[in-house]
Amino acid sequence: MKSTPRTHQNFWFPLPKRHSIIFYFLLCLFLSNPSIAETLKIGEINPLSGRLAKQGVEIHQGVEVAVAEANAAGGVGGKQLKLISRDDQSQPDVAISRAEELCAWEKVLALTGGYVDSLVGPIAAVAKKYRIPYVASASLQKELVQHENPYFFRVSRLQGFTEPLCGILTEHLKPQRLAILHSATPGSTELARDLENCLKAHGINMRLIEKFRPGTPDFTPLIGKLAEMKIDVIVSGGFSPDHILLVRQLKENRVCPKAYIGPFGIAYENFIQTMGEDADYLYSTCAWNPGITEPGSEATSRYFVQKFRQMFKGEPNTTNMHGYTSARALIAAMQAVVKNGQTLSGDAIRLALTRLDLAMPMEHLVFDPNGDPLHYRHVVVQIQKGRLVVVYPPDRASGEPLFPMPSWEERN
Amino acid sequence: MWTTALVSGISLGSFYILIALGFALIFGVTRNFNLAHGELVVFAGYVSYWLWKVWAWPFVLTFPVAILATLLICLGLQRLFARLCEPLELNSIVLSFGLAILIQNTMLFWFSGDYRLIRISTLSQGLRFPGFYLSYGQLTLLFLSLTVIAILYILMYRTYLGKALRATIQDKEAAAQAGINVAVMGTLAFCLGAILIGLAGPLYGCIHYLYPSTGHEVTLLAITITIFAGVGRLGGIILAGWILGLAESFAVILCGASWREMVAAVLLLTLLAFKPRGILGKGE
Repeated sequence: MKSTPRTHQNFWFPLPKRHSIIFYFLLCLFLSNPSIAETLKIGEINPLSGRLAKQGVEIHQGVEVAVAEANAAGGVGGKQLKLISRDDQSQPDVAISRAEELCAWEKVLALTGGYVDSLVGPIAAVAKKYRIPYVASASLQKELVQHENPYFFRVSRLQGFTEPLCGILTEHLKPQRLAILHSATPGSTELARDLENCLKAHGINMRLIEKFRPGTPDFTPLIGKLAEMKIDVIVSGGFSPDHILLVRQLKENRVCPKAYIGPFGIAYENFIQTMGEDADYLYSTCAWNPGITEPGSEATSRYFVQKFRQMFKGEPNTTNMHGYTSARALIAAMQAVVKNGQTLSGDAIRLALTRLDLAMPMEHLVFDPNGDPLHYRHVVVQIQKGRLVVVYPPDRASGEPLFPMPSWEERN
Repeated sequence: MWTTALVSGISLGSFYILIALGFALIFGVTRNFNLAHGELVVFAGYVSYWLWKVWAWPFVLTFPVAILATLLICLGLQRLFARLCEPLELNSIVLSFGLAILIQNTMLFWFSGDYRLIRISTLSQGLRFPGFYLSYGQLTLLFLSLTVIAILYILMYRTYLGKALRATIQDKEAAAQAGINVAVMGTLAFCLGAILIGLAGPLYGCIHYLYPSTGHEVTLLAITITIFAGVGRLGGIILAGWILGLAESFAVILCGASWREMVAAVLLLTLLAFKPRGILGKGE
């Protein structure tokens, strides 16, 4: 009886055995070809959970817009960008391990994201170790750019807050009894120190400088102190929750300074909604907002707003823009490297970042030799009838500051 | 300034008491160290906020719902804790730590990372006295805390049930031998704890603000006061809450706002050094 020849043909091996092996070998070769399967990896570390989750998510959204925009335009050198996001849980030690993971295992080309210096600092150190450029989205502490870390860049700096604040205080508000309250964070402490120096140089002396822990549960005793000293202008370097509590307790205790300035965390839609009419007359600073943009960048700003609305069904804010700007800087540097015919490497991207000249809605982005942005500058805004009105500097003002703010009794 | 600090200290201390009572009661009776206590307070606050903001409920009516919600969670929690084996304190720390993270992230998902505030305009009005202003918010806090303390005092020291609860706190085995149903006492402690959490949550959203990760500070506060008071001593908790509130307030006036937590920590360490059984403890 004639035996049936043995065959390996089935669903997985439709070809005879020898041909199948050759076919799958070629397929593997094809798929493993870097020019076909490779994407360009960008790492991003943000506090997506924990006490800074809100800000971290906002930065992340901004970064996502920039990456989506670049990919829609064909990527970098014809390759799509792949964003690898990690959550540092608002903890510096976790930030370090996430940065190590992205640099050592994921082999990302560059890093971005990051909110507050205590989280940005450790990431910057890891980036330096692996010679990978890191463009931080929100960082202020001066010390971070004094560590001779050529791989560290950031899109914000402290002078961007100090100069306009000092300007409005000396030129418009002219306080007689000024109090500076600052939270026990590096950025806020440095802001208080720099502002004090600037005001002293203009002949304005501080009556009170007080440090408090972020998340202090009760400001009432401090308010008693402020009332006793008849403080007329308060500059508070706390964050949104501190302002929520402090302003509410100022109202409860019927203590009303002539002006209340909170450089961080007030110029946000969410803050205005939470505080309602109690937010009126408060001053803050703002780098960007849908209606507040660098002159000449209106079209780019509108495009970002549209793209953001399309992706997240909401209104963007200044934190989103910080994320967007940092990612755009990184992508622009990568594009410059490819354009020059160089291979994309950490050092090549770093070099391109040092030569970057990018017009963004938030700032004209050029880095100084330390990685600080040269032209980052806020405007001073005041909340008037639930809207942000630019009141300083004069060349960008859209309204007059309402000063002094009426007493709580008058407002009710 | 001094009167403001005094009023603020007592008012804040009263709120501390309200927060710590639930924790101390559950820990005293069941020996379960509930690290998710603060998260439950914040969760109750979110329930209240949601009803008040989205469904426009009157603030007062949100309390029963917040209490009911925490009651259900606490009973579920008790079932989980009941499955733990010895050492109970250590195992409950591990379990509740995981639960705290779970509740925190669930709240972040449901209520987003936006800061929420229950704004009741009446509570920000108040009475002006020479040298200080007493808001209705502070008065409410004081009144509610004192009422809760009084009810709890009557329950614990004037009823047979309270006697049974105190006996369980003092010695679980002896209480069981005396015919007290220790398991029922545990359920009761969780129920009372849930009611206290349900009361504290909406107030927390009103006098503080709501944010998913603020719960751990509340837990820390409850633990501090419980240690300060001595485990199982409700009278000590009242004293500890007020001392802590006043110490923090006067530290701000005398030394500056940055000394607030330092003074509280020094106070706690000193107490532990000289009276390790708590402020009303009678020594070894």
